[in-house]
Amino acid sequence: MFLMRFTERAYVNYSEEDVRNSPNEAVRLTFSNSNFDPQEGHYLYNMYLDEYEYSEEVGFDGLMLNEHHNTPTCLGATMNLEAAILARNTKKPKIVLLGNPLPIFDNPIRLAEELAEIDMISGGRLVSGFVRGTGVESLATNTNPLHNRARFEEAHDLVIKTWTTPGPFRWEGDHYHFRVVNPFQTPVQKPHPPVWIPGTGSPETLVWCAERNYPYIFLETDPQGTQDMKSIYTEAAREHGYEPGPENFGYLVRIHVQDTDEKAYDVGKGYMVGNIGVGRIPLPRDYASPVGYGSRSDDPRFLRLREQIRSDPFRVGGLDSAHYDEILDSKRWIIGSPDTVISQLREVLSFMRPGILAVWTNDGSISHEDTMRCLELMGQEVLPALREIGEELELTDPFQKEGVMPGLTSI
Amino acid sequence: MPNFTEETISVAGGNLQVYKGGSGDPLLVLHGAGGNAGPRRYAQALAEKFTVYLPSHPGYGKSDRPGWVESMQDLACFYTWFQEQEGLENVRAIGFSMGGWLAAEMLSMTGHAFSKVMLVGAAGIKPNDGEITDIFIINPQQIRDLVYHDPSQVPEWDEMFGTDPTPEQAQQAEGDREMAIRLTWRPYMHNPRLPAKLARVSVPTHILWGENDNLVPVECAGLFHQAIAGSQVTVIPNCGHSPQIEKPDDFVQAALAFL
Repeated sequence: MFLMRFTERAYVNYSEEDVRNSPNEAVRLTFSNSNFDPQEGHYLYNMYLDEYEYSEEVGFDGLMLNEHHNTPTCLGATMNLEAAILARNTKKPKIVLLGNPLPIFDNPIRLAEELAEIDMISGGRLVSGFVRGTGVESLATNTNPLHNRARFEEAHDLVIKTWTTPGPFRWEGDHYHFRVVNPFQTPVQKPHPPVWIPGTGSPETLVWCAERNYPYIFLETDPQGTQDMKSIYTEAAREHGYEPGPENFGYLVRIHVQDTDEKAYDVGKGYMVGNIGVGRIPLPRDYASPVGYGSRSDDPRFLRLREQIRSDPFRVGGLDSAHYDEILDSKRWIIGSPDTVISQLREVLSFMRPGILAVWTNDGSISHEDTMRCLELMGQEVLPALREIGEELELTDPFQKEGVMPGLTSI
Repeated sequence: MPNFTEETISVAGGNLQVYKGGSGDPLLVLHGAGGNAGPRRYAQALAEKFTVYLPSHPGYGKSDRPGWVESMQDLACFYTWFQEQEGLENVRAIGFSMGGWLAAEMLSMTGHAFSKVMLVGAAGIKPNDGEITDIFIINPQQIRDLVYHDPSQVPEWDEMFGTDPTPEQAQQAEGDREMAIRLTWRPYMHNPRLPAKLARVSVPTHILWGENDNLVPVECAGLFHQAIAGSQVTVIPNCGHSPQIEKPDDFVQAALAFL
């Protein structure tokens, strides 16, 4: 099993009132950056990078980063910069970017260059995930939401071709046009860095990933619904002639550990102002999912799945009204002493069977000290236990998979 | 009151939904980004003097979207095609809001689209001082609040907004909004090259605006006036973005006097 550490790198130095006073009472997109203090930013970026470097020390296999725009909930607005620093300052862990929001890039060649540099600096440790981005990413970068999926697919094809086909070549697509594609820098990993795709279960994306043997990382999806999502992937994979296993699936979970259950319970409340922001005010629908962004598929199975995702009270980003205790009772967040966390995770892993576990160790208002203690306990007790459980349950990860490694068989 | 019928006309490989009513010379009415509200009171009044054609733009209402209609210029191409096919060139026309932009694009492409044209609260030219309101980051209720200066003076308010939309209507509205996003996303609601191209226009043009337009600033009336030589401007006081709905009597009076 591949164990990677994640946090959204939140900025929480603002109040609910600040959000209420912002246009459309939105914590993303239009929440004024006059609420941001770059001095605090200086402190936070360095603190978050320190925590990631310490995550290598305690034994994580991967350092996972993500990217969002126009929001205090995630300081990773240009995640590739943080990735480049970690590429230089760490030695062993994979640098897992989940992911670069392809549709918002008008120049995917530049992206291919940045990622190639990260791969070279790190000595071939890049895992290059791609996402469509939320509606906010489209609006913040003025990318037409109607073209989001088409741009995602075309930019992906262009980046992969840029990495795998000797230049120069021309690209005259529907959304991208380049007369001389020939960036001099290419990735160390051949044919290209592995591609993993995170998401909340969009059926079209699941099929797209399965067609390419790209691991799909479920972002805090509800376990029962995830089985249906996995079966969509599995069916499509079989149509493409292979049997997916744990190495094709990942799962992101908030997992916070402290010395005692009581301490962990108290500290874990800090998650509540994580990705939803201080005040937990729901984002306007036209921000999160503008008209045109969503799928128009009328496949009844897809529609059912979409409804299931939408009605999940604990879905990522939809935590505005859920109560902390309810979330814990549902085991969607795993919070407690090392023993508690290990035993709950055994259940989760047995049911979900992911080859990749993304451990969202801290967020929101959880302090640096508590995060460092959490990471320390992870290293001492939780990660070794998870590795044993992973072996016992045969949760093979992509790097352990014999034969063709998932994530590479695109093109 | 003149009867309107709903027709389907095959144009450019797709079906176009057109409300048609009245008698007399043809009058082409081009709706705005929000969609085709059908033959409202102002259209009924105009149909006393003209044969009113009120099409739903491709991708709006029940009209198909030929796959190539992606921009306002594509839409203008579509409508000149429609005009040629239906013998509706050199006709009178009114364009509301985004439909005004559409009419202006058509004027910039050909001298025989219209014999006379009214541009009402027209999008298409970037204001110098204000901004065209971004309707894509606010919800339909917020848009409506901005469109009407004083809802109490809108005679058809109850008819139009008195009941919650049915699921079908809500879905239709979403499809309409999607088409608006397709057509006007970037640059938002304007064409930087339009003012220069409007120098070719020689047909009588009447620019009409609500004084209290909260979507397309009234200064744009002056910019259209500057761009189109010989055009005339009317500003209706105490009125928002849609004079034809908010003050239909004043609007119809101005329209009939000009057309």
